[in-house]
Amino acid sequence: MDLFANLAHGFAVAFSPINLLMCLIGALVGTLVGVLPGIGTIATVAMLLPITFGLPPVGALIMLAGIYYGAQYGGSTTSILVNIPGEATSVVTAIDGHAMAKQGRAGPALAIAAIGSFFAGCVATVLIAVLGAPLTKLALAFGPAEYFSLMVLGLIFAVVLAKGSVLKAIAMIVFGLLLSMVGSDIETGASRMAFNIPELADGLGFATVAMGVFGFAEIIRNLDAGAEMNRDLVQQKITGLMPTRKDLIDSAPAILRGTALGSILGILPGGGAVIASFAAYTLEKKLAKDPSRFGRGAIEGVAAPESANNAAAQTSFIPLLTLGIPPNAVMALMVGAMTIHGIVPGPQVMQKQPDLVWGMIASMWIGNLMLIIINLPLVGIWVRLLRVPYRLMFPSIVIFCAIGIYSVNNAPVDVILAGVFGLVGYWLIKHDFEPAPLLLGMVLGPLMEENLRRALLISRGDWTVFLTRPLSAVLLAIAAFLLVLTVLPFLRSKRDEVFTESEN
Amino acid sequence: MADTMGHSATTATRNKSVVIGFCLLALAPQIFELIWSIGTIFGWGAGRGPIQVVAAHATALVAGAPAGLLAAAGGDTKKASSDVLLALIYSYPLFAVAVLTIFMTIRSAQDYVGGIVLMALALFALWASSDLQGMRGFSFGAGTAPRMFGGLLVALGAGIALTGLLSDGPTMAHYSWRGPLFVMASIVFFALAIRPLGVVVSAFVSFLIAAMGTHETRWVETIIVGACLTAGCALLFPYVLGLPMPMFPRFLVQ
Repeated sequence: MDLFANLAHGFAVAFSPINLLMCLIGALVGTLVGVLPGIGTIATVAMLLPITFGLPPVGALIMLAGIYYGAQYGGSTTSILVNIPGEATSVVTAIDGHAMAKQGRAGPALAIAAIGSFFAGCVATVLIAVLGAPLTKLALAFGPAEYFSLMVLGLIFAVVLAKGSVLKAIAMIVFGLLLSMVGSDIETGASRMAFNIPELADGLGFATVAMGVFGFAEIIRNLDAGAEMNRDLVQQKITGLMPTRKDLIDSAPAILRGTALGSILGILPGGGAVIASFAAYTLEKKLAKDPSRFGRGAIEGVAAPESANNAAAQTSFIPLLTLGIPPNAVMALMVGAMTIHGIVPGPQVMQKQPDLVWGMIASMWIGNLMLIIINLPLVGIWVRLLRVPYRLMFPSIVIFCAIGIYSVNNAPVDVILAGVFGLVGYWLIKHDFEPAPLLLGMVLGPLMEENLRRALLISRGDWTVFLTRPLSAVLLAIAAFLLVLTVLPFLRSKRDEVFTESEN
Repeated sequence: MADTMGHSATTATRNKSVVIGFCLLALAPQIFELIWSIGTIFGWGAGRGPIQVVAAHATALVAGAPAGLLAAAGGDTKKASSDVLLALIYSYPLFAVAVLTIFMTIRSAQDYVGGIVLMALALFALWASSDLQGMRGFSFGAGTAPRMFGGLLVALGAGIALTGLLSDGPTMAHYSWRGPLFVMASIVFFALAIRPLGVVVSAFVSFLIAAMGTHETRWVETIIVGACLTAGCALLFPYVLGLPMPMFPRFLVQ
């Protein structure tokens, strides 16, 4: 009954006019970002972090959350209609979704994507509400050693689920950890690797690095290909949004499976929406009686990944709200947003800030409802937006990012640093390094160091403490097991298969 | 036969440019400090002048570091200066890598160069944290964690470079200069101009600079969009969001 009381409280918070407005803005911006290729969720959330300064914390987080799951909706629209995935999460949706659009069934594809997403969003909302409290209790059993092991597990997950070489992914994480060390030492206050630059004394700003590596680097990379990206729109009228009975029956089990898979992958540290959509698509293809239909307009190929990415986008809030550990880069930015507002993410948030937690959970459901309305009837407007040429879009993004970074600390040096990290990100892309684990490493770095030091201090320098405490040992064992699995040749080929499939 | 000859010739030239690149990388911090120090001639910033910088680094590289090595081998733990340490920790290992590269067949330049550059970053971090305190008994000092992760990244970078030698992979990707140059120029201009010139001027000019990043820019529409965006930002950030920032050039306001 506690659950219903909490949810009721959450809805009361979320239905206040200001929060409804924030939710709507988040959903709109999210859809916009999802529709427009060349600007990702991470960059947008980073860009809007400073904007949330003036807002109340609940409203700010509701808006940022809205951007994240809103982008999952928006991405599917352009994937289906124009075969341009606006977001990495809807790359697989484009395969069957666009095939359906070419057969004149764009309407049902869009509708199924929206219905699947909405269903997944509802389930995930309930899941967060149900799992939140017990996981918080579990978190109280966690000492520094367990926290450290959990973070190691999270980073290993990020490696396993990252694209491409395992070695490179680990290197990116360690690079991120090193970057997080810049600035003052937490315990002694000694200045580390700051080169007497006063702006570095506080450490590298998280939003600065994120904006550089994801915002500026993306722009520079896109400019390589020429600003005029190939955009031949499907210029037919979208008729008949309603899916047929057969469509619904076909896609119902796919939506269920996608939701389940997405929810699990979202909770796991290192996971997130991108991997969820890939995995769901692969699963559907494996389970299908006639796999050859996939790629030629199978409605399951739209339903499963779309529900999975939306479910994962929302359940990834669970580790953040209960353990205070961000499972992916967007959640890492949410940590940044919380810190800006003086909220320390972790188990105590649920007790101390019930407004925030339950308000945000309730707003997700409301946001999903809004997104259906934003996306289905207004689909034409979003598609028209694609005609904005990139040559006008990219300078606007650059300026917006620059003003945004400047306003975080009113420091011009931050803007230059972000530019430098833009070049670093461009170089990383050119050498096939994935920047997402870097960001995760950077966020978890200070937490990891602090817990490692504390654990060793308590155990009086005894490193075996991580293995003698049962919970910690189990977590480390899982991490080691996972790492061994990825290196094994058999599973490695499977992993590559999942990723290559999405690229074709 | 002629074909393979030609192939090996191209690898040789490419190896050469990689080697030169690594040598430059090995001296990058010193060169950077030199460029930075030019500013002191005009009275900007504090620090050593260019002549001092050249002299200090040259002696460190040529004489100081070998002496330091010998002293360390002899068990003499006198504190070396930071220039000597930079040469020892950062430059020498990279020169060694550069020399080794001459004899290598690089099968995937993308991985090899990527790994070595990461290694260089890690070595630089090791140097930057070399003045910090290490372990004190069983408690971590300020420098323990950076050194731990720095060491780990050196190993990982070496591992990645090794895969670039052992397995075939893509060669270096093509870098274009136009996009990075103008986007960076726009960012730097914005950073330098925001304080003295205010949002309106710096945002508009930065927009125009960034727009030069592609040759497809049409100036009339760019100027219109830039003006609209500037107006929008000038309203959004200071007024709607209440973030303090200067609006107009300082000399006009006064």
